[in-house]
Amino acid sequence: MRAGNQFWWFALISIAVTLAIISSISIFFWRQLTPDAQSLLIDIIKDDFGYVFAVVFLIIAGLGFALDGIFHTYILPVIKLKEEVSIINSANPAHRIQIEGNRDVLGLAAGINESANRYQTLHREVEQRIADANAEIDADKNILAAFVAELPEGVIICNVDGQILLYNRQAKTLLTGDHGNGAGEAASESGKFIGLGRSIFGLIDRNLILHVLDEMVGKLKRKDADACAYFALVEEPSRSLRVEAVPVLNPRGQLHGFILILFDITRRLESSTRTSSMFQSLVQRSRASLASIRSAIEAILEYPEMQTDQLQRFRNIIHKEAVDLGCFLDKKANEFPDHLRTHWPLVRTGAKGFLETIRQKAESRLGVRLDMIHCDPDTAVKIDTYSLQLALLFLLAQLQRITGQSAFNCELRKKERLVHLYFIWEGRPLREAMLHQLEEQVLSVGDERIPMQLKTVIGHHEAELWSHSRRHDTDQAYIRLVLPSVVDTIQTIRGHHITLLPESRPEFYDFDLFHQPGQIPELEDCLLTELTYTVFDTETTGLNPTGGDEIISLGAVRIVNGQLLGDDVFDQLVNPQRSLSRDSIRIHGIQEDMLIDQPTIETVLPLFHRFAEGTILVAHNAAFDMRMLQVKEGPTGVRFINPVLDTMLLSAIVHPAQESHNVEDIALRMGISIIGRHTALGDAMATGEIFLKLLPLLAKQGIQTLKDAILAAEKTYLARKKY
Amino acid sequence: MSHRILIVDDEPNIVVPLQFLMEQKGYHVRIAENGEEAIEAIFRFQPDLILLDIMLPGINGFEVCQTVREHRNLGDIKIVLVTALGREVDMAKGMALGADAYITKPFSNSEIVERVRELLKEGE
Repeated sequence: MRAGNQFWWFALISIAVTLAIISSISIFFWRQLTPDAQSLLIDIIKDDFGYVFAVVFLIIAGLGFALDGIFHTYILPVIKLKEEVSIINSANPAHRIQIEGNRDVLGLAAGINESANRYQTLHREVEQRIADANAEIDADKNILAAFVAELPEGVIICNVDGQILLYNRQAKTLLTGDHGNGAGEAASESGKFIGLGRSIFGLIDRNLILHVLDEMVGKLKRKDADACAYFALVEEPSRSLRVEAVPVLNPRGQLHGFILILFDITRRLESSTRTSSMFQSLVQRSRASLASIRSAIEAILEYPEMQTDQLQRFRNIIHKEAVDLGCFLDKKANEFPDHLRTHWPLVRTGAKGFLETIRQKAESRLGVRLDMIHCDPDTAVKIDTYSLQLALLFLLAQLQRITGQSAFNCELRKKERLVHLYFIWEGRPLREAMLHQLEEQVLSVGDERIPMQLKTVIGHHEAELWSHSRRHDTDQAYIRLVLPSVVDTIQTIRGHHITLLPESRPEFYDFDLFHQPGQIPELEDCLLTELTYTVFDTETTGLNPTGGDEIISLGAVRIVNGQLLGDDVFDQLVNPQRSLSRDSIRIHGIQEDMLIDQPTIETVLPLFHRFAEGTILVAHNAAFDMRMLQVKEGPTGVRFINPVLDTMLLSAIVHPAQESHNVEDIALRMGISIIGRHTALGDAMATGEIFLKLLPLLAKQGIQTLKDAILAAEKTYLARKKY
Repeated sequence: MSHRILIVDDEPNIVVPLQFLMEQKGYHVRIAENGEEAIEAIFRFQPDLILLDIMLPGINGFEVCQTVREHRNLGDIKIVLVTALGREVDMAKGMALGADAYITKPFSNSEIVERVRELLKEGE
């Protein structure tokens, strides 16, 4: 009720009460009078009506003013006070009471304002502290996530139901064969999807995981020191993984989840298989040749009077076998270093750049001038740069000491499989004994020192070192280091992502899922905020699903635990096997030649079915997209029985007064900026964001569960639209 | 009557000295270069003992060994596997498939002669 109305009611009632009292008193007074006195009074009133009326009017007017004063000074301020306190408490804590009124009310208002000030300050401080603490936790978590993301091993963390709570890029690559950042097309190749809230069983055989869980539980019960389980996994096409399963326990010591650490052992297996087969062939070949040699020579020894031609045959056998075995060993010895080269971690390095560093350091730290007089271009070596650099500086320092010279020429020459590095000077070469002595020394240059002998570093590099005179010029001596050159032509260095700490929470993990039970079939009673959704959109050749229009692009993104997972997406162009109209090209911008090499809907839809398995489908104007999918049920053999929610209908529930419920207008209302409108994935992302913003608004209207949402949506007028 | 020995090996450089050795010891020797030849020779030549290489082209030594043991009428033939496969599992497999002895290359002539004599029960 408005304050003006309140006043008039108050005035009316006050006047009525006053009039009633005056009338009662008057009637009572009238009855007390004698008839003479009554007629006298009537006469007086009749005679002086003007006076009497004026007196009565003045009394009533005075009363009215008094009432108004009382109302505005005492009653209205209190009512306003009540409303304003309610605003402070519920709507706007920054609101302050500003009213007029008597001193007591003003005092009360000042008191309330003071309390509100204090409360607000306190509230702000608490919120700031919470925000600080959250930011700190998020920063820690993000560093952890970035660290996990860059581990060379694949890491997946699951709860006991097998739901994935964390995974890193490496795990994604190893299990789905996807090397890119977007899951989309590459994941389609293997048909496997990795994502938060998804089941590990889609990636690794269920029975194998259950066996592993059993094993871990058994070990925990027996209190084994190592409760981990180990197993091997052969992934198509030819990837071998060793998997370590580590149990995660809750504070009561029960299995709460598990971590899978995936090691790619394909290369190691290949290498050890090759080594083993090489060893086998070496042994067998040697045995066979030696058998012939030994048998022949023993025959010769046992029968000295053997005929000449027989003896000659045996000699030939011995000679031939010895020569053959020698050749065989040479061949194998050459193969050997290629894949069994030392386990010291060597890195492919350009020789020229490496030498330039040596030159600079020799000059600045030893005062030795190194003149590069020849360097074969594009020469690469596999080295440990730090130890080899120190070894070469050490060598130069020793050369300086021994030869007394402080300038050397330097040459780098590639000869077949070897790289030769020369330090050349005028004078005599070093004696072998001297070189040997140097090799025994521990490496130190100035204050830099590593606890390794020169020969150890040379050994690690499979290198050799010697000193000699140049053939054509005996006055010139050199010391030569020979390293194996890099023989593989394919760059084997792994492309490394640069890790940027994500600004928002990265979507590689969601530990809240630890506490979430596995999705149960009774989805209808689940809270909307707890469900997993696949938000999708299709681009089509036209708007008539039953009239032959086809899907040309399918995009989807998942929502898990109220988070839109930008890393867990489906993005696939589809060959519609028909032409595109110009009008549709104008909308989606997809040209016909982009679709020629794309898979058809028969391939794509089963994949999408798997992507969306066990989730609620969400789309904007879902009736259209679902119809598009349904007309393909026959040819593809997949049926989408997932519950479906439509953001267009949900928006109509929340804002029934709004006329437009298209994506742009809703996004505008909700303050969402759309990137990539009219690409299937872009629209799916926008729809997902809209959906997330709709959830709290729906909750305000009491729409909390999936069932509530479906029922409410059915009632909206937009639901009548049919395709 | 002297015993008959069949030498089965695809490597002539070991066959030559073995043949010489066995003939010097007074045995009748036949040669087969692969598994098929060996099986044919076993039926025709009816050897008392076979010096059998395992890694033969085509039918390998293990199979030859198995075939011999499957035919009851050939049951008395002694089989000595002579092979460059040196692993214990190979030896176990050979013996399980019915070989009487297993000699790993390289061997000494006296060792193989002794084995042959032992198996043919020609005590010194």
